[in-house]
Amino acid sequence: MIISSAKPFEEIMELLKDEDDIFIIGCNACAAKIQVGGEPEVIMMQQRLEEQGKRVAGYLVPSAACSVASFDSLIEKNPVIKEAKTILVMACGSGVSTVSRVADMPVYPSNNTDSLGGRSHGEVLPELCAMCGNCTIYYFGGICPKGQCPKQLLNGPCGGSMEGKCEVDPQKDCVWGLIYRRLEKIGRLNLLERVWECEESR
Amino acid sequence: MILKARLAYSPTMPGTFKEKLLSDDFLVTAEITPPKGTDLSEALGDAEILRGLADALNVTDNQRAVMRMSPLAVSKALLDKGHEVIMQLTCRDRNRLALQSDVLAAYSLGVRNICVMSGDHTTKGDHPKARPVFDIDSVQLLEALRKMKEGFDLSGNAIAGLEGLTVGAVSNADPAQPMQMLKLRKKIRMGAEFIQTQAVYDAGQFEIFMEQTGDLEVPVIAGVIPLKSAKMARFMNGNIPGIRVPPEMIERMEKAEDPADEGISICAQTIIEIKKLCKGVHVMPIGTHDRTPELLRIAGIRKGY
Repeated sequence: MIISSAKPFEEIMELLKDEDDIFIIGCNACAAKIQVGGEPEVIMMQQRLEEQGKRVAGYLVPSAACSVASFDSLIEKNPVIKEAKTILVMACGSGVSTVSRVADMPVYPSNNTDSLGGRSHGEVLPELCAMCGNCTIYYFGGICPKGQCPKQLLNGPCGGSMEGKCEVDPQKDCVWGLIYRRLEKIGRLNLLERVWECEESR
Repeated sequence: MILKARLAYSPTMPGTFKEKLLSDDFLVTAEITPPKGTDLSEALGDAEILRGLADALNVTDNQRAVMRMSPLAVSKALLDKGHEVIMQLTCRDRNRLALQSDVLAAYSLGVRNICVMSGDHTTKGDHPKARPVFDIDSVQLLEALRKMKEGFDLSGNAIAGLEGLTVGAVSNADPAQPMQMLKLRKKIRMGAEFIQTQAVYDAGQFEIFMEQTGDLEVPVIAGVIPLKSAKMARFMNGNIPGIRVPPEMIERMEKAEDPADEGISICAQTIIEIKKLCKGVHVMPIGTHDRTPELLRIAGIRKGY
């Protein structure tokens, strides 16, 4: 799923400072799962905007903000959108982009789009995939160094790790330690011996 | 002619760094830091202290991601003064075009030794918002250099004239880090002709490292950094990856009347202990090389000084 995070409300107010009659579009896919664009967050946004004196025309939470056929399909789901002068999309950048294509009015994002990640046991897992278009994740035990190593190294760790933690973010485990333990666990340590040549870095 | 003049008063053995790597000599390399600014006098002065003592001088490349003068210019200045140079090249600031381009430039200016590394991340330096490149990694940069030496760039276009270029790499010397050891093996498979290590303090640990890598036929030059205080030792233990100063050494530093003297004495002792295990030492003092001649004399490496 796409991992996004809510912009500070003050930033959203700044974006909308000259706008009114706002229609909010949430997203029942990724954004809902990580609670930055599901119905509860959309309703909360409506309340907060109204508290700040904004008129909110209405809202809609489509199954996926990144999959919208036409403006008419939005009208079908909530005709109030016709009265709106601006749209606030509570989804990832693809959602904002897709809605912008069909709506002839200003469209604003309420979220920052961070990475392609996942969720497991209630925990949000960011940066699981770098979307490089050349998947080799199997060789790394299902842990992608392009997504998770800040230097995107393919041939092993840099010398910057301290006590198994990442040089860039000491709160995070060095992904190469995780890859090593994972491959050890599944009996595939030999995969680490492969030299990844320049051709395979892109 | 510069070479002759240098040999006449140099206790280092004659020959290029490449020739010395293949010889039985115990080698000394030392780190020179490019200036933060355009004045080369400090770097050249530091190099002058090492004339006749060091077999080659490593010129660092925006070390610790702190912006400094390009190692290309500093290498050229050192070469002009008759020093042998190992130019360092990181993957942090250049994509594969710029890396290859700088290698050609370095060679044309007279650089014959290059040492490659990933490089510290930009977030650790003085321009933390700089976009880090890491287009290719250090193993891949070795691959690129090998191809260039064979006469081709990374796209297979013919390029001429990198004969005699010697290429090395770096490694931590911690045998308890299996991934580091795996990467070291890859570096050697991709053509690293010498390895310079992170600073060694624990001779016992270094011995295990050398045993584990005993099957690798590559000269290892062990890094050393003389301690200046117990505080510095603790700081390095907590902040510099790959460095482990043993507690008894920190205790010695704490009790010492003159900690800087003690640091030199400890470092010389370490060199004596590891001398038989490796091909040479790489001296990387914090600050200048003022005390490096003394260090090498006490360690019994450059007796004439």
